[in-house]
Amino acid sequence: MDPILLGCLLCVILPLVAFGLIMIFTWRRPNLSLAISLVASTIPLIIAWTMLFKLWGIKEPLIFTFNWLVSDLVKVPFGFLIDPVSLIMLVIVATISWLIQIYSIGYMGGDPGFGRYYADLSLFAMSMLGLVISSGLLQLYVFWELVGLSSYLLIGFWYEKFSASEAGKKAFVVTRFGDVGFFMGLVFLTIFFGSLDIAGLNAAAASDKMPPWLITTSALLIFCGIAGKSAQFPIHVWLPDAMEGPTPVSALLHSATMVAAGVYLLTRIFPFMAASATAMLIILAIATLTMILSSTIGMVATDIKQVWAYSTVSQLAFMAMGLSAAGLAHGTLFAGYFHLTTHAAFKALLFLCAGAFIHHFGTNNFFVMSKEGGRKLTIPMVTVTIAALALCGIFPMAGFFSKELILGTLAHLDNKIWVLLGLFGAFLTSYYTFRVIFVMLFPRADDHPAWEQYWEEPEPHGHGHGDDAHGHGHGDAHAHDDAHGHGHGGHGDSHGVPWVMSFPLLVLAGFTLVLGFLQTPLETFLLGKSEPHEMSFVLLASAVGVALAGIGMAWLDWGRKTASWQGFIKQIPALETFFIQKWYIDHFWRWFLDTFIYGVFSKWFTYNDRRVVDGGVDAVAFSCIGGGRWLSFIQTAFLQFNLLFMVVVLAAVGIYLLMGR
Amino acid sequence: MNLLSWLISPPGVATVAFILVVVVTILGALIAVSARNIFHNVLGLVLALIGVAGLFLFLNSPFVAMMQILIYVGAVCIAICFAIMLSEPMYLPKPPRSSFKTLGAVIGAGTVFAFLVLLTKKTTWTPAPERSTDWSVTTMGHYLLTEYVLIFEVISLLLLVAMLGAIVIARGGRGAS
Amino acid sequence: MLLFNQLETYLYVALVLFFIGLYGVLARRNLIAILISVELILNAASLNFMAFNRFLAPHPAVGQVIALFIMAVAAAEAAIALSIIIAVYRKLKSVNVEQATELRG
Repeated sequence: MDPILLGCLLCVILPLVAFGLIMIFTWRRPNLSLAISLVASTIPLIIAWTMLFKLWGIKEPLIFTFNWLVSDLVKVPFGFLIDPVSLIMLVIVATISWLIQIYSIGYMGGDPGFGRYYADLSLFAMSMLGLVISSGLLQLYVFWELVGLSSYLLIGFWYEKFSASEAGKKAFVVTRFGDVGFFMGLVFLTIFFGSLDIAGLNAAAASDKMPPWLITTSALLIFCGIAGKSAQFPIHVWLPDAMEGPTPVSALLHSATMVAAGVYLLTRIFPFMAASATAMLIILAIATLTMILSSTIGMVATDIKQVWAYSTVSQLAFMAMGLSAAGLAHGTLFAGYFHLTTHAAFKALLFLCAGAFIHHFGTNNFFVMSKEGGRKLTIPMVTVTIAALALCGIFPMAGFFSKELILGTLAHLDNKIWVLLGLFGAFLTSYYTFRVIFVMLFPRADDHPAWEQYWEEPEPHGHGHGDDAHGHGHGDAHAHDDAHGHGHGGHGDSHGVPWVMSFPLLVLAGFTLVLGFLQTPLETFLLGKSEPHEMSFVLLASAVGVALAGIGMAWLDWGRKTASWQGFIKQIPALETFFIQKWYIDHFWRWFLDTFIYGVFSKWFTYNDRRVVDGGVDAVAFSCIGGGRWLSFIQTAFLQFNLLFMVVVLAAVGIYLLMGR
Repeated sequence: MNLLSWLISPPGVATVAFILVVVVTILGALIAVSARNIFHNVLGLVLALIGVAGLFLFLNSPFVAMMQILIYVGAVCIAICFAIMLSEPMYLPKPPRSSFKTLGAVIGAGTVFAFLVLLTKKTTWTPAPERSTDWSVTTMGHYLLTEYVLIFEVISLLLLVAMLGAIVIARGGRGAS
Repeated sequence: MLLFNQLETYLYVALVLFFIGLYGVLARRNLIAILISVELILNAASLNFMAFNRFLAPHPAVGQVIALFIMAVAAAEAAIALSIIIAVYRKLKSVNVEQATELRG
């Protein structure tokens, strides 16, 4: 067998085997489960890096396919597609997934569901690796849903907590909502194009073999799925709630890899999507709106994970902006994809640092962390600052290079509004990021009046947000904060950060520092050639300028000695409430569900169920009973009478048949 | 006196014997269904079965004829006698015949009869083109233990099951003493 | 052509037997009498087989084998039927088929 094919198969099968083994046999035994899961994630890691080095510089994609379903009309292959795009994503997924497994040894240690946790992580690794190297869209869709399943399992990992299981359900249902669109797009493509092969689709769209209406419709339908998975407006509402899961899970699934699957899909079929300017424009608009929206909400959140979650939403939107702008301006997929790569490193780092704090202090509120002496945890504090700098796009962090590229792509568009909005988003990003950093770095004296405002009494464990069961319409945006339900509480005491947790932080910080300088080799690898970027000085200056301006603004509001610890947004109370209420989008969905789904569709379907379905069944049953009663007079219990009839009829039929001869 | 001389010739004797056998069979059958006394019915059945055995002789199968007498007359009829003795005593009054039922039975049986007569008449009976003429018991035994051995075994199984079933049903099910 | 060397003769004799047997099954009330009539029907069938064996079949043992099987089956059937009759008698104190009306609608 081809070693590459063998590697691909191992990547998919090993974690699946680990999942099965742990779930069936060893889930009661934490150490054994951990060992199995680690083996099953280390081997894919080695395979991924080996493949990257062996195949560095390949020109032609390697495709392995087998027939899965063959019918008259459609042929569905099952296979692997190895090209630069999938190779890099494979390495990202394998690496971060491995690091998270190491980190979780410390974070999840002592949790009663330790084995189950590692089983779910293995399931996720299997589905994500499978998604990355899928050769056809239908196969990708299968893994896509599997990823959604593992996301559901991991968000609701502490299922005994009501809000967590609700958040899991919400994530599943909302992403499914987008996936319906995705699937319709696939059906549409199958009917009118006949194949879902990724390479074939890209080639056909690039060579004008497909009618534009087909491309636009299916691209928009597929974007529904992308929007669901990558949390774009208006179905981004699940991602902030998904922070109910364990923090390593948030780092792995809900920032670095799984939510990036949507953007990855956009990259995967980039030539196809880019063939439709209309679709690209719509995606650009949605992504921009999402970016502004999530950045503004991030400005007022007090839960550190919420801040990073909204920052994830905005960065994903930023990638989508880069890709769609490139599609509009006939650019390449490199800008968006490069940001995906760097973002995976620094956002996972941000979450893991947050996890270290949460693990140590037992709260999600970063004001509380600050008061309790968060800055004394040296390694997380240093690395979180590095990651924050990367997020803002400050030289020499990785984010600087990738953000610069995206802004450059946006600037290529004729309409300059997009690049201005992008810069505005970058400003907001810097502001809310350094709000967190400054609050953590410079705690106030104990009697500072601001504490009152941000302090919340830790509630007892498992309090469950009973009143906002659906995660909609929180009266207060901070409701998620405290007592984040570490079912494994009781490690609030003052031990430092264990090495299993700090080691992944350092590795990721290393990536954050180095990755930016690999821009040219990566571009050569991805595109086959490296184009010199004529980086305009104005743009460069303004990008760094807005980032620094954001940081400065944060310094004024939160950092300096005399800072009031009031966001500048406090000046406009209406706007602040609007942001705290998350633009009322959760309210909108609540209202939409109540009015249309429950009020209209459910009602009709219930009526239909009662009257038509139940009524029909009842009618059949009652008519059977009545008919039986009525017909029972035939049953005289005179056996010979029955026999007589039988014989006469049979003989009569026989005679009738013989007469004709 | 052509008829008389034919009658004493071997074919004539055989024909007379044949007619006799047929008459015995039909008569026995009539007694078996029409007599009011159930025991007479059994005797009629015995007569009819012996007649059928005679017909089997005419069909060149002495072995089957022998088996017919042995199994039917010797076993089945005796079993029926046992049943008669174990059930309703014969001295009890019999219900009167219902002419309606008799009429129905005649019509039913008559329809089938008409159908079968029609079938027999309308069919052209053609013998197989190549026929072996070996009628011996040896051949039959050979067939029974080669070609039909499976059916043979299944029949024995059937008999066993029937025997067990008869015992279970007759003793009144589980727990009856 | 001699009478006993013709297929039709035997077929008609079998037919008459069948007719009488069927009449008995339909008209008699006594379960044992019905069983006797069934035996007549079975004999008619087996006579038919023997006749076909004698006049038509390609090899001469087939019909005889089948006639033997019919006998075996008839014996089994008689055993079962008789035990049923005894069970019915035990329950209804009668072997009249018209009394067995528990399944009347």
